[in-house]
Amino acid sequence: MQDTVLVVGAGPAGLSAAASVANAGYQAVLVEKETVLGGAPILSGYAKLVPSGEWAKEAIGRMIHNVEAHPRISVHKGAQVERFGGEPGQFSATLSTGQTVSAGATILATGFTHFDSVNKPEWGFGTFEDVITTSQMEQMVASGKITCPSDGRVPERVAILLCVGSRDRQIGREWCSKICCTVSANLAIEIKELSPQTEVFIYYMDIRTFGLYEDRFYWKSQEEFKTKFVKARIAEITASGDGRLLLKGEDTLVKRPIMIPFDLVVHAIGMDPNLDNPRLAQTFGITLQHHGYLERAEFYTNPCGTTRPGVYACGAAYGPETIDDSIAQGAAAASRAMADLHALAKAG
Amino acid sequence: MAIHEKALIEAERLRQHDSLTLEGVDVSGHWNTMIRPRTLRNYHEDFEKTLQRYPGAENVHRCWQCGSCTNSCTMYAQNLQFNPRYWIYLSRLGLTDELIKDKDIIWQCVSCNKCTHICPRDVRPEGVMKALLHWMEDQGITPKSPSTIFDEEFTAQIYKRGRIEDTHVLLGFFHKTKQSLFQPWLLEFSKRMSKRLPVKHSLRMGLNAVLRPKTKSWGNTGEVLSRYVSQQKESHRD
Repeated sequence: MQDTVLVVGAGPAGLSAAASVANAGYQAVLVEKETVLGGAPILSGYAKLVPSGEWAKEAIGRMIHNVEAHPRISVHKGAQVERFGGEPGQFSATLSTGQTVSAGATILATGFTHFDSVNKPEWGFGTFEDVITTSQMEQMVASGKITCPSDGRVPERVAILLCVGSRDRQIGREWCSKICCTVSANLAIEIKELSPQTEVFIYYMDIRTFGLYEDRFYWKSQEEFKTKFVKARIAEITASGDGRLLLKGEDTLVKRPIMIPFDLVVHAIGMDPNLDNPRLAQTFGITLQHHGYLERAEFYTNPCGTTRPGVYACGAAYGPETIDDSIAQGAAAASRAMADLHALAKAG
Repeated sequence: MAIHEKALIEAERLRQHDSLTLEGVDVSGHWNTMIRPRTLRNYHEDFEKTLQRYPGAENVHRCWQCGSCTNSCTMYAQNLQFNPRYWIYLSRLGLTDELIKDKDIIWQCVSCNKCTHICPRDVRPEGVMKALLHWMEDQGITPKSPSTIFDEEFTAQIYKRGRIEDTHVLLGFFHKTKQSLFQPWLLEFSKRMSKRLPVKHSLRMGLNAVLRPKTKSWGNTGEVLSRYVSQQKESHRD
């Protein structure tokens, strides 16, 4: 039992954690509530990933293949942990399929839920067909053709609105979702590549293409692909009367109201805490932080910890996270889990 | 100013009526002043490309509005209306009506190039302002500047003869800019020159001024050159 690690969630973080556990010679049990592995990049049909530029299907597909082919990983798809108990070194989990898993340690890689744009009705999602989310735009890019959903025409102008479901006290989203700026700049590039006649405008409050994303995405989208960045928080999206959409807001830099016609509007949706988090917290006996993400243990000497010893976490379960960092954290959580199990075995 | 918003009302947006009836109600008197909305209703994003064909504005699309140019600007310290960052923004979105409103301010740039040296994205704002001025000249929004007129006179002579004749350039320039030939500085200049210049040189100058010789074997070089230059200009501006 002490050489088995239970991994909950098979997105980039969970796949990475399971692979690390198995590669080190331990046993991994991977439990995924959906019937396919891969998490958000696969379930939401992401196109090319940031920053590698690899197609999600291929990049995450390799991770899935490694996990499914590994003799020391057993995968439970379409399953959830319903009951969980025990101590570090001897946990026991009952799955919704009725199976029981014994494990020495548990890693929660339960990820996030995309913000539901219906919660910002003034921005027209759910009202107008030509208002879509970044997830839908990713799917459109993957399909290879940029068109307006309403009538299939090629858009002359696309507006990407940043911070939809992020940095917004009105709707209780008091965090930055970290990756939307970069993803949007990347989408602007991809839109222009597929549809050179389309002009892309990004409406921002700040641009947070942190670290090495700065020149590779923000500068590149502006310098090579002529993306226009407009500093304005949009107030409202309405119909123009001639089949287009009207963006209303204040252009912060010209200090003037704007009312500009667009063909397609994309919401750069943020990362909400996983909707399942309250239930997960109850099942696993851990606490959530005040926004609803998993509470981190004291970090400096207990990285990847939760408020319950022997239960670790990684990736977007802790808060908005990039795919690359989720993968790194998955590997880190695996090494924490195995190190603690190793110590227990030595002590015992 | 007691009401800040008043500063945002340009005179041309005010509509005053001697007598005004709205929906059957006579609102003449105190209520006769209306203000047209200041909402921007469209972009003309093609303008950025147009401007980029003018030397100096090639990098205008790189701007991220940090404001370093305006902050460092010599002229901004004198005149708060002088705002290179703002003009770059207007240029990028093609808000040409707004740009034209500032046609009597943009020329005040003294080309100290502090903006060019401070810009973190290498936009070269000084060049953008020069490009804007040239675009406005081309559009007939502003009259040709004296320096443009001088350049044209100079170039025309080069095309014709492969060289310039100083007196001839000055004559042409003064004529086209409707200035008197009898400028005090020019009279003084000529007086002193005639005193000191060796006779041989004076004679040669006089002869050149009258005969206007061409550069040796100039042939049809001027024609070829002129055609090439106009082709280049065409290809940059269409």
